[in-house]
Amino acid sequence: MSRWRELWLYFWRDLMIARTYRIPFVIDAIQALFGATMFFYAARFVDSPQLRSALPQPGSYFAFALVGWVFFDYLGVAMDAFDQSLIEARDSGTLEHLLVTQTSLPLMLAGSAIYPFLITTLRIAIYLIWGALLFHFPLGSANWVSVIVVLAASLLSFSGLGILSASYLLLFKRGNPAKWLLIGLWGIAGGMLFPVTILPDWLQVVAKLNPMTHALNAMRAALLGGVRLPQLLPAIELLLLFAIVLLPASMVVFYWTLERTKTTGTLSHR
Amino acid sequence: MAIVAFPILIDHGFADAYRVCLRLVLERRKRYKNSMPEATTPAAVVLKDLEKFYAPPRSGIRAYLQPFERGTRPALKGVTFQVNEGEAVALLGANGAGKSTILKILATLLLPTRGQAFVSGHDTTKDARAVRRKLGYHAGSDQGLYPRLTGRQNLLFFGQLNHLTKRGAEKRIAELGERFHLADALEQQVRTLSSGTTQRLSLARALLHAPTVLLLDEPTRSLDAIAAAEFRRFLSTEVLRGAKTSLLFASHALLEIEQLAHRVAVIHQGQLAAFDTVAGLLGRTKTANLEQAFFQLTGTAELFENDERLEHFDDFSHKEQTQ
Repeated sequence: MSRWRELWLYFWRDLMIARTYRIPFVIDAIQALFGATMFFYAARFVDSPQLRSALPQPGSYFAFALVGWVFFDYLGVAMDAFDQSLIEARDSGTLEHLLVTQTSLPLMLAGSAIYPFLITTLRIAIYLIWGALLFHFPLGSANWVSVIVVLAASLLSFSGLGILSASYLLLFKRGNPAKWLLIGLWGIAGGMLFPVTILPDWLQVVAKLNPMTHALNAMRAALLGGVRLPQLLPAIELLLLFAIVLLPASMVVFYWTLERTKTTGTLSHR
Repeated sequence: MAIVAFPILIDHGFADAYRVCLRLVLERRKRYKNSMPEATTPAAVVLKDLEKFYAPPRSGIRAYLQPFERGTRPALKGVTFQVNEGEAVALLGANGAGKSTILKILATLLLPTRGQAFVSGHDTTKDARAVRRKLGYHAGSDQGLYPRLTGRQNLLFFGQLNHLTKRGAEKRIAELGERFHLADALEQQVRTLSSGTTQRLSLARALLHAPTVLLLDEPTRSLDAIAAAEFRRFLSTEVLRGAKTSLLFASHALLEIEQLAHRVAVIHQGQLAAFDTVAGLLGRTKTANLEQAFFQLTGTAELFENDERLEHFDDFSHKEQTQ
């Protein structure tokens, strides 16, 4: 069986499970409406000509903040999806049964991450649609090819961190404290709700080393500025560089961790 | 590989670097395959001087060091035996004797500290994927099914992960569903099923891809008497005689062992105390039943001699029968 078919099987499994919970979809859509409304009024309260002039793209602070907020969601999913699939498999007792099939653990993690990524994409789309329908979010100016490419490059670059986090969980059985530190730091030095240019010099250095900053800049340029792909190539190359370094490194760490847990006999321990 | 590929990436670009990396990977894989030992024995399962040591349990901040500690607590101490093709072998031992450790090593879920384990000639450490192709595994304590999926969806998912086609999986599900009386359970969410039905479903999963070696850890643990008898009959007629599958199972149910096992491996404190047929064990220990033979072989018989409570129980049951 091809790996694509295996990945599809994991997605199918998650979709079938999700179908048994119907209400969360509706709740997610309503939550997105509340979120977009909150951002709109908060942005209207702080919006000013000076603030607009500090933004990298022309437009309202609402559009800037909404893109930052919803796109930051992706980082959370990339960091969480692998952990969560491991925790769920371990707690439901399916982990050992999955590992005696022909599948491999990395494939299981990758397959289990597809559904969370897709559902997050859907949630983001709902946020943006609410923003466009009710609060004049400029969806019409987006360059969708650029948006999709930036999104894919960002996911690849963040997934390495997610796999590292899953390795930590496999080894120590508890949540990864570094993950929350990283998410917190990136929230500040990633340009989620404000441009990184207002940060002190040393934090701007951190921001430059942060893939989130580059991903957000590129995403805002594509979504709000309609910037075409060739102009975004430097940011995309940088994101792919992060992915080229992080993904193989995280896989090496993950395989070592797996061997270690098979040696210590703690694979299915909680 | 990075040392080789990086200068090529700088000088010739990504495509050349990729090609070189691919060639290196393929060469390495070829070398690895050539270095694999040939199937050394026609036996279904072979354990050779198998040893397993666990790290001592730690708590608090020291628990963080546990994954890096060396194993010092012995779980298996040089266990050697083999299961022939089409044979059923039972692992009999007290809790913590090492039965589940043996099964987990064979299922590639655990690495041995020393020694080797083979399934259909494949080393469980070096060739885990080939081993997994050959075996079905069921742990009675942990059914490991998705509670919100139906029985059929669960079996379809695991069957296809074991490289059955969708149609092939559906056919096997229909066959096993009939034999295990799972027709209703297949259409219901697993969370609504009784523990016995869930157990049967989990056993059906282990048999879906028609494995040549079946590893069962307390297979009838949650089954009622009728379901357990039905399951034993199924294993005996369909799996052992019909499909010629080899079976290694751990059980505390002595009746089950007597009915199913061609030979019994008695495990005591991580060591093989005896390996023989039930009749052989009884003859060797000069005892009347497997329970007494087990106590004799594990040196625990004296624990039950002169036990006043048991004597009172015997008196009571004697009186009950005579009244």
